[in-house]
Amino acid sequence: MTIDAEVQALSRVPLFQGLEPSKLRLLAFISDRMEFQDGEHLCHQGDDGDSAFVVLSGEVAVFVDENEVAKVGQYAIIGEIAILCDVPRTATLQSVGTTHILAISKDDFLKLIAEFPKVSLEIMRVLALRLEKTTRELAQARPAST
Amino acid sequence: MEKSLFQFIWKNSARYQVAILLVTILSYPVSYILLDLPKTITNEAIQGSNFPVELFGMQLGQIQYLAVLCILFLVLVVVSNCIKLYLNVYKGRLGERMLRQLRFELFQRVLRFRLPHFKKVSSGEIIPMITAEVEDVGGFVGEAFALPAYQGGMLVVQVGFIFMQDPLLGLAAISLYPVQGYIIPKLQQKVVRLSRQRVKNVRVIADKVGESISGISEIHSNDTSAWHSADLSDRLYRNFRIRFDIYNRKYFIKFVNNFMNQLTPFFFYFIGGYLVIKGQLSIGALIAVIAAYKDLAGPWKELLAYYQMTADVSVKYQTVVENFDPPDLYDKQRLLDDESLVLTGSLTLDKLGLSGVGTGQEVHNVSLNVEPGKPLAVSGVDGSGRAELLQMAAGLLSPTSGSVTINNTNFESMPEATLGRQIAYVGGHLHVWTGTIRDNLFYGLRHRPQEKVEYEGSDLRKRQRQLKEAAMTLNPYFDLKARWEDYELADAGSMQQLEDKALELCKVAGFSRDLYLLGVETVINPNETEELNGGLMPKLVEARKALREKIQNDTKLQNLVEFWDPEKFNMSANLAQNLFFASPKEHFMTIEHVPTDPQISAFLKETGFDVLLADIGLKIAKTMVELFADVSADSDLLNRYSFISREDLPEFARIVNDQKGEQRRKRLKDVDRARLIALALKLIPAKHRLGVLDDDMREKILAARKQFMETVGKDNERFEFFDPDTYLTTLSIEDNLVFGHARLDRRDARQKIQQVLQELVRERDLIAPIRRAAFDYQVGIAGAKLSSHQRRLICLVRALLKNAHIYVLDETANSVSATDKTLREDLRKLMSDKILMFGVSNESVAEEFSTTLHLENGRVIER
Repeated sequence: MTIDAEVQALSRVPLFQGLEPSKLRLLAFISDRMEFQDGEHLCHQGDDGDSAFVVLSGEVAVFVDENEVAKVGQYAIIGEIAILCDVPRTATLQSVGTTHILAISKDDFLKLIAEFPKVSLEIMRVLALRLEKTTRELAQARPAST
Repeated sequence: MEKSLFQFIWKNSARYQVAILLVTILSYPVSYILLDLPKTITNEAIQGSNFPVELFGMQLGQIQYLAVLCILFLVLVVVSNCIKLYLNVYKGRLGERMLRQLRFELFQRVLRFRLPHFKKVSSGEIIPMITAEVEDVGGFVGEAFALPAYQGGMLVVQVGFIFMQDPLLGLAAISLYPVQGYIIPKLQQKVVRLSRQRVKNVRVIADKVGESISGISEIHSNDTSAWHSADLSDRLYRNFRIRFDIYNRKYFIKFVNNFMNQLTPFFFYFIGGYLVIKGQLSIGALIAVIAAYKDLAGPWKELLAYYQMTADVSVKYQTVVENFDPPDLYDKQRLLDDESLVLTGSLTLDKLGLSGVGTGQEVHNVSLNVEPGKPLAVSGVDGSGRAELLQMAAGLLSPTSGSVTINNTNFESMPEATLGRQIAYVGGHLHVWTGTIRDNLFYGLRHRPQEKVEYEGSDLRKRQRQLKEAAMTLNPYFDLKARWEDYELADAGSMQQLEDKALELCKVAGFSRDLYLLGVETVINPNETEELNGGLMPKLVEARKALREKIQNDTKLQNLVEFWDPEKFNMSANLAQNLFFASPKEHFMTIEHVPTDPQISAFLKETGFDVLLADIGLKIAKTMVELFADVSADSDLLNRYSFISREDLPEFARIVNDQKGEQRRKRLKDVDRARLIALALKLIPAKHRLGVLDDDMREKILAARKQFMETVGKDNERFEFFDPDTYLTTLSIEDNLVFGHARLDRRDARQKIQQVLQELVRERDLIAPIRRAAFDYQVGIAGAKLSSHQRRLICLVRALLKNAHIYVLDETANSVSATDKTLREDLRKLMSDKILMFGVSNESVAEEFSTTLHLENGRVIER
């Protein structure tokens, strides 16, 4: 798999959707491509998060308090909050079968943002949309619960 | 040491000076005839008429006569030039010998300086004195006596000739010599004074440069580079000024001399002309005198140059030598004696005092007695005189009052052969020598060569010549190639046993783990340690195979390493390694050098890889330029991820630009091609994922790999191929065992492998051999590649290994940590029949010892 395939994977990640292809390429280039064997952990719940993972191929199981809560597959991004702010990992990630992952490190991602303010604008927009959506959902959910 | 240059030269080379003088005088008639012969040829052979002439009883016609004279001329040319050649070589050789002797004498004097003297002189000053400043002495020695004798003689002859023509004209010819003889030395004196200043100034410059280098981290951490720049610049300016003054005066002297020389003909024309007109002198005589006077100028000029050189070299010699004659120099014999007494009994310090050194370094009236087997802890903070007291007890520092004695023998009267072998000292400032750990551990056993190397044939002749030269220059006869380690001192019988002993002591000192870690990084040198490591290399190759099996069969470890496999492309290694499948034996060979190496570039051309690699390089460059073009220069993204450095990026951008477009590409320049090839060779496919290598390309590389091995040959001088069945002497032990690359896309692959490696090494009993291999680890400049703790431990083991009678350990293993505590116990056990003085700054540590002594401000404080 070459960098072009990774760029394609990244372009499907909602957080990076608005980015120009050239920036995506740079992001892909500075990220680490990792291979995980069956059962190998990507990260542990409670650890300091230092990178986000984009699944390039294979499947990753998500465990919260040792209970499997979900399985995610190709093009999923996991732990992306970790590259924006310091929060401990909220789940343990385990590879199911052999998986290929693109690991985006926080430091490098922040450097990229510092380098290209446009990138951060795009990210901000995505985050704002998410916030708006969450707020709306919360507002809708509230009257129902009372 | 001889105070003046001429004393030094005469004392050490009188015989040779006389020889030079004799040959010079011998050459004189030859050159005289040679000058005279052309006249005879033209006057008698060519223009003559009385033929045939008789020569040595033979009747010769004109042509024959001409032929004979010309052949004679040819012979004389050869003879005179041979004499000149011989004389020059002889003088040069003599000069070099004297220089060697002088330099050695100076270095030996440095070895004889007492310790406190080094507080006053710095290495930055001493080094140029021994190297650069005395250099001119070498050139001068050969000329010292011969030149003035020869040129002086010439001068006297010429002046004599003029006097014979006419005494009055003779007087006129030399009339200005007294004036010149008065003025020139006056001017020269000033030059000498300036030369002295210049030498001293250059010394300061050398010292400042040296100090800046040793204090470089302070300069950076305090932002004082401007200050140091200004400081040095100021010195350089001063140097310029002095030099300029010297030039002014030197050329003024030349001017005066030239002027006076040309003033004399004025008298000749005036007085001589008057005499000719009055009919008291023939016109022929006047012309002859003027011609003779012209010949005077040559020798006179030479003599003046000689005089200036003498003044210059003398002042250099004096300014050097005066620094090597401190009044308290150790006696030479102390250094040279090889007779080592075996010290026994107790050590007595009697009313020991040290003063006049500096506050916090003084010691007052300390008396004590240390018995063997009863270790003494000397406690005291920094500046309590503890370090100085211990140095005096170790025979390194001479007390200003009182004495240090053992069995009623004063340390002051013992040679270093005894002090240095019977006393071991590890103090605050320690030194690890550039070289291997082995060199450092066995350093304390290298007193004199232990065996005589038997030379044969041409080696024997070389050695004899070396010895002859040593004798002529008063240098030592020691053979550096011999074994210097004295096994007996360490109770060992062979190098093998000595190493065993050293390993044991490293264990005691707690240095074993470090040794292992250094060992796996060591590149075994097969030439030096064949007999010792001979058995190790096959074992390591076996271990390599076992490790491979282990990693391949363990599901958890699988795929952690991409092994070197002659049939497979290694994605985790760079293209250079994949293509050549070898590592270079020459250390300077980096990837940048590869494309320009004649052998390799020929191979690349032959296989067409020069074009293929340049294409790959161009693709990489294109992508890199694209990706990083608008990344700002101060972002470290570029340096971390691009394999083109920031400085080179514009250069590659230009190449990419040149090669753009469909129309005829600009021809790729060789330099650019080399750059692109080097760039391509740096590509690590698994890391860079640029998609520039397809399967086809990989196949080609594998094919070329075989071809390279065939072209270069398996056994060659320059490359070592990655053969799974042989041990590679260009790689470290770890690289040899792993024999591949840790996969870059597996998390913590390297750490995991190292762990497995260690387990395997333990299973196979290779830990000890690897520790032993660490003896060949290069420690860097003054041990720079070791931590300060490691350096201290090496010095401790060095001291333990030499089996001394007196051990003085200061600031060593003196912390309250558990490891240090155990080490102290072990040391006490080890020295149950020896004298041990242990310096500590922490009093609670001192309490572990049965006898203690507490120092404050250089005085013993009773508790």
